[in-house]
Amino acid sequence: MINTDGMVAETAAKIYTDLCGREVPHQAEAGEYPQALWDALQENGLPLAWVGEANGGFGADYDETFGAIWASAQAASPVPFAETLIANWMLDRAGLAPANGSASFALSGRTPSADIPFGMHADKIVLFDETHQEISLFDNRAAVRSPEEALSPDGMTQFIFSGHLAEQSAKTNLPRRAVEALILTVRAVQMAAAMETALNLSIDYVCQREQFGRPLSKFQAIQQQLAVAASECAAATMAATQAASAIARHTDDPEKAWHEAVIAKVQIGHSVEAVTVPFHQVHGAMGYTQEYDLHHYTRRLWAWRDALGNEYHWSRRLGEELSQQSPDQIWKGVTTGDWVAS
Amino acid sequence: MQRFNFPVIQPDPALEELRGELQRFLKTERDEGNFKPEPECWMASADPEFSKKMGTRGWIGLTWSSQYGGHDKTALERYIVTEETLRAGAPVGAHWIADRQHAPMLLKHGTEEQKLDILPRIAAGECYFAIGLSEPGAGSDLANVNTRAEKVANGWKINGQKIWSSGAHISHYMVALLRTSSADGRNRHVGLSQIMIDLSLPGVTIKPIVDLSGDAHFNEVYFEDVIVSDDCLLGDEGGGWKQVTGELAMERSGPERFLSSYITLETALWQLSGKMGSDSHALLGKLIANLRTLKGMSWAIANLLDQGVSPETEAALVKDLGNRLENDLTLQARAMLNDLPSDQWSPDMRRIMNIGVLRSPPNTLRGGTTEVMRGITARQLGLR
Ligand SMILES: Cc1cc2nc3c(=O)[nH]c(=O)nc-3n(C[C@H](O)[C@H](O)[C@H](O)COP(=O)(O)OP(=O)(O)OC[C@H]3O[C@@H](n4cnc5c(N)ncnc54)[C@H](O)[C@@H]3O)c2cc1C
Repeated sequence: MINTDGMVAETAAKIYTDLCGREVPHQAEAGEYPQALWDALQENGLPLAWVGEANGGFGADYDETFGAIWASAQAASPVPFAETLIANWMLDRAGLAPANGSASFALSGRTPSADIPFGMHADKIVLFDETHQEISLFDNRAAVRSPEEALSPDGMTQFIFSGHLAEQSAKTNLPRRAVEALILTVRAVQMAAAMETALNLSIDYVCQREQFGRPLSKFQAIQQQLAVAASECAAATMAATQAASAIARHTDDPEKAWHEAVIAKVQIGHSVEAVTVPFHQVHGAMGYTQEYDLHHYTRRLWAWRDALGNEYHWSRRLGEELSQQSPDQIWKGVTTGDWVAS
Repeated sequence: MQRFNFPVIQPDPALEELRGELQRFLKTERDEGNFKPEPECWMASADPEFSKKMGTRGWIGLTWSSQYGGHDKTALERYIVTEETLRAGAPVGAHWIADRQHAPMLLKHGTEEQKLDILPRIAAGECYFAIGLSEPGAGSDLANVNTRAEKVANGWKINGQKIWSSGAHISHYMVALLRTSSADGRNRHVGLSQIMIDLSLPGVTIKPIVDLSGDAHFNEVYFEDVIVSDDCLLGDEGGGWKQVTGELAMERSGPERFLSSYITLETALWQLSGKMGSDSHALLGKLIANLRTLKGMSWAIANLLDQGVSPETEAALVKDLGNRLENDLTLQARAMLNDLPSDQWSPDMRRIMNIGVLRSPPNTLRGGTTEVMRGITARQLGLR
């Protein structure tokens, strides 16, 4: 589940309401980093939600933490809250202490460089090295910052590993699919929340904007476009919720949540186009401006649908895997969410 | 706060046991040649003998009390039964509508005598119902119905015509939306009532309508001075509009809204096993993601309905998404089958694919057109 009523979620929602009003993402892009927002999240221990008590965290419910991520995406978070949660989760799984400060992550071998989501504002980087079965923590000072190429303000920067020593490192038997499952699920939750927020903006806008002597909302062509978009948003919420539940259900073996997480990525990734097109269309030129809020959500949606491989990549991966299975097994997965790896 | 709310419900072992029983039964029936699987089976594929077998096994009338021939089970058990029969493409069209909507209607509005008489026959798979909403002048604009029921001593006298009535030619009853008094100026929602009509009564004429594939499963139904007794008025006189729109909302999120053409995909999967190319992998991955998501939505709504909550917006959205997916399933299965020359398709594959294509237009029409559904959603979003 994505529990937006739990304590963790409510704390996060309150912090975002208080310290990340609609002007904050704008200011952040103009170079005014909302340090107070990050500090408040950190003071409340929120980035440690998925760190076990043994490692100094509080091992919060997955449900509630997904609720906190939902709140952060609704506010177009200009700080790497979700990324830090993921990075600390990886460290915790390897028995390492959480990052001191904000963090992001990469899944790669020790290739010369890696794309780091939100690398601009992450103090640390956690590397999952599948080949050596190792999880390591690096300082992010050496990141190559390339924001001008990014789709969104939390977009990718490059990190060059050569010449850098890990601050901490540990062997892990965590399978790559487990890490993929968590990351894809977090992205799914963020995308569903951003879609819903952009839907709400669009509804408000067409109810206020008048043309031909009436609010745009009174035109059937507008109504039908937003009705379709709403159905995609509802499906996105479902897919994200299903993935989040699978993660929570398989705490000990997150690899088992892989199929539901991939499904969420595929479902939501494909619907990004189906919602961002009508959202921009009904906003007219206003939605294309920097001044208006819509782009905080649509640009993030465009970036997140690419993260860790786009919807086409994951559709193919899922289909490849399922094509090895009997139609009876596929049906079982569709109806019960009980999937087997092939 | 989230706008849309879908509880995730974990599989229940008892339900999965029931699923297994259904699967074994359906496989045997199919293997023995007792039915040929078809897409859109719940609308277009009716076999009273098959319905009686389902009835004997206790798979019709699951949700109502054994006092009326039912089986005291939940709507979730019924969901599993419908889901499995749709997957199999089994000929469930005869009893589907009575089981889904008229039995609950009778339980709510029928007299004790009607319940004791009709419900056990529905549960046995022997008594079928037709839906009498559409008329030549009343399609999407349903409030325009013009067939009249006039009050007479001890009953009602009915004159007019219904159209597109699925299965009326094999049905015992129709529940029709009729005008029992005039509209109140521009408010046409008043003066409409639901009346149950025994289709064997004098004055009822049923004429089949042949569809584009040559099948005749829907009908024109004419009423000429048909007299029914007072107890055939279901619910309130003049309350028909509210009753009908309430029922429609409930039935829009069932598995028949997105699984009707699953048989086409599944047949293609058997055909393609081991021969699928990478384009097909991508198509398959997307379809399965869509199916799993819709199953989650539909199942969540079924659970909410079972708890007495009625999430109307979500239900309307499921029909729109589901109908689009049904058309996609057929289309993408066709695309995937490119991996195999068509002379290598099995006879079953050809038959099912052709039926699937021919039966695709109604997906986005019946039970409220796509445009009408989007209008309902728009109202719930506060746009109208
Ligand atoms: C296979 C099948 C089985 C059926 N079974 C039954 C049955 O058992 N009982 C029964 O009562 N009915 C049945 N129907 C009828 C079905 O409910 C109607 O077809 C449906 O309600 C649409 O009505 P119509 O066909 O008159 O189309 P119309 O209402 O004439 O619509 C034609 C087109 O115009 C669009 N349109 C209409 N009004 C508007 C508007 N205001 N704004 C935008 N677009 C609009 C519609 O969406 C549609 O695309 C069945 C239909 C089919 C195809």
